[in-house]
Amino acid sequence: MIEFKNVGLVYPNGTEGLKNINVKINDGEFVVIVGLSGAGKSTFIRSINRLVTPTSGTLLVDNEDILQYRGKKLRELRTKIGMIFQNYNLVKRSNVLKNVLAGRLGHTGTLRSIFGMYKKEDIALAYESLKRVNIADKIYNRADELSGGQQQRVSIARVLTQKPSYILADEPVASLDPPTSHQVMTYLKKINKEDNITTIVNLHFIDMAMEYADRIIGMRAGEIVFDGPASEVNEKTFEQIYGRTIREDDLRGEAEKVEQP
Amino acid sequence: MNTQTLPPKPKVSIWKKIKRALIVLIIIAIYVWTFVGIEIEWDRALERISRNFGVVIPKLLSPDWSQLGKVSASMLETIFIAFAGTFMAAILALPLGFLAAQNMSGSKFIAGIGKWILSAIRAFPNLILAILFVVAVGVNAFAGVLAIAIGSIGMLGKLYSEVVESIDMKIVEAMEATGANKIQILFYGYLPQIIPEFLSYAIYRFEIDIRASSILGLVGAGGIGTMILFAANNREWNEMGLILLAIIIVVTVIDFFSARIRRKIV
Ligand SMILES: Nc1ncnc2c1ncn2[C@@H]1O[C@H](COP(=O)(O)OP(=O)(O)OP(=O)(O)O)[C@@H](O)[C@H]1O
Ligand SMILES: [Mg+2]
Repeated sequence: MIEFKNVGLVYPNGTEGLKNINVKINDGEFVVIVGLSGAGKSTFIRSINRLVTPTSGTLLVDNEDILQYRGKKLRELRTKIGMIFQNYNLVKRSNVLKNVLAGRLGHTGTLRSIFGMYKKEDIALAYESLKRVNIADKIYNRADELSGGQQQRVSIARVLTQKPSYILADEPVASLDPPTSHQVMTYLKKINKEDNITTIVNLHFIDMAMEYADRIIGMRAGEIVFDGPASEVNEKTFEQIYGRTIREDDLRGEAEKVEQP
Repeated sequence: MNTQTLPPKPKVSIWKKIKRALIVLIIIAIYVWTFVGIEIEWDRALERISRNFGVVIPKLLSPDWSQLGKVSASMLETIFIAFAGTFMAAILALPLGFLAAQNMSGSKFIAGIGKWILSAIRAFPNLILAILFVVAVGVNAFAGVLAIAIGSIGMLGKLYSEVVESIDMKIVEAMEATGANKIQILFYGYLPQIIPEFLSYAIYRFEIDIRASSILGLVGAGGIGTMILFAANNREWNEMGLILLAIIIVVTVIDFFSARIRRKIV
């Protein structure tokens, strides 16, 4: 469980990224955060694995305040939180397997990882993860030989190999075309349901948010301005969150044909 | 009817035209001035050239194979000088490269100092360095190795620093997010991004250094340059032919393999 209690974050330049956030995210939920650019979605998500550090309040993950964590404690926290990025962030010159095994780093001794001597189970797990996102045939390809959608699937496999309890995804489909976007979201949703991994996704496409989320949190100017089940959400709600009327480019659009995972 | 039209020509302002014309005029003036100034005795020069060409060129083209052993040994020494020099430079340039990279040294000022040191080193031509080291360590191949090493550090350090500055920090962040420790991040986040390019630049520099080290012998710093010097002084044009042939072959072969290897690793 993740719980924000009066969490605030002021960046060194004085920008208020988060303002007095109070929210509880339950185990197994699939939460989508929406909001305009600059609303604080990334700041919110990146606080959870401490890529940024809130400057006030308490942030509980599994009932422990993570804001005080440093060094080993912080790395332990991060091993149980997988993260997916907009630009996949794979090492382009390394092959897919090596990229996926990087998800095991937090669980592997320093010497072992330097010499690439991963345990058999870890390699099997990496292969299994690649199969789950249907990209096992590219295992020995260099990451930069893959398309955007394929790279994002590899990055999902990397997170799966990490065996996390939480997955954070910061705009995972912003660089992808509509069919591929739906494919990636479908995989995330499937993993959330099958492995019961709490998943928090930043999106700015409102149709996708409504389609995949269990729960939607709306942010504006560092504050939570909406929080409710996806079933209660309609275009009116989004107009309130965005503070303006909904436009064409707030929608990702239908996938004509989505490859079924 | 064909209604296609070409795009309008870019407009060139009168000023630009005048500027261009001026530049052309100035260049012509400099050439005329130079040739008038040096007072070549054209008839004598032409005569000498035609006489020498008649003698030298045929000899260059019929290399003296009896010297093959000596020339090969000397060429090998040249290759070793280049290799040892580049190798030293490739390692010594590492700290300087990181120092001169702004994202690593953390301050514009320190990076500026690093960059300044590197350009200062680059300012010395190889031959000058070779003369300095011959004076310092004596007339031998080690002077050549040092000259090559110092000469290469400047360029390699600068190229390294550019590679380091282009490191994608998002990949590093992704590693941090998996809970990897600092050493693991170094091996999985930084090194894969920089090692291939470092290697590629070092190999490229080796190519350059092969050429550089073949003339170091002119000032006594070892390698095939010494033979060039003697052959020229003694007018041994057949031997010179073999030396040139050896250099051409070695440089070509090394360029070829260097290009292939570099394409593979990057
Ligand atoms: N490192 C930083 N330093 C200073 N200010 C920052 C930093 N990162 C973000 N901000 C500011 O904090 C606010 C929230 O940014 P954040 O990146 O969380 O927004 P977002 O909702 O993710 O936007 P987007 O949809 O564009 O990604 C913005 O005003 C942004 O300019
Ligand atoms: Mg963002």
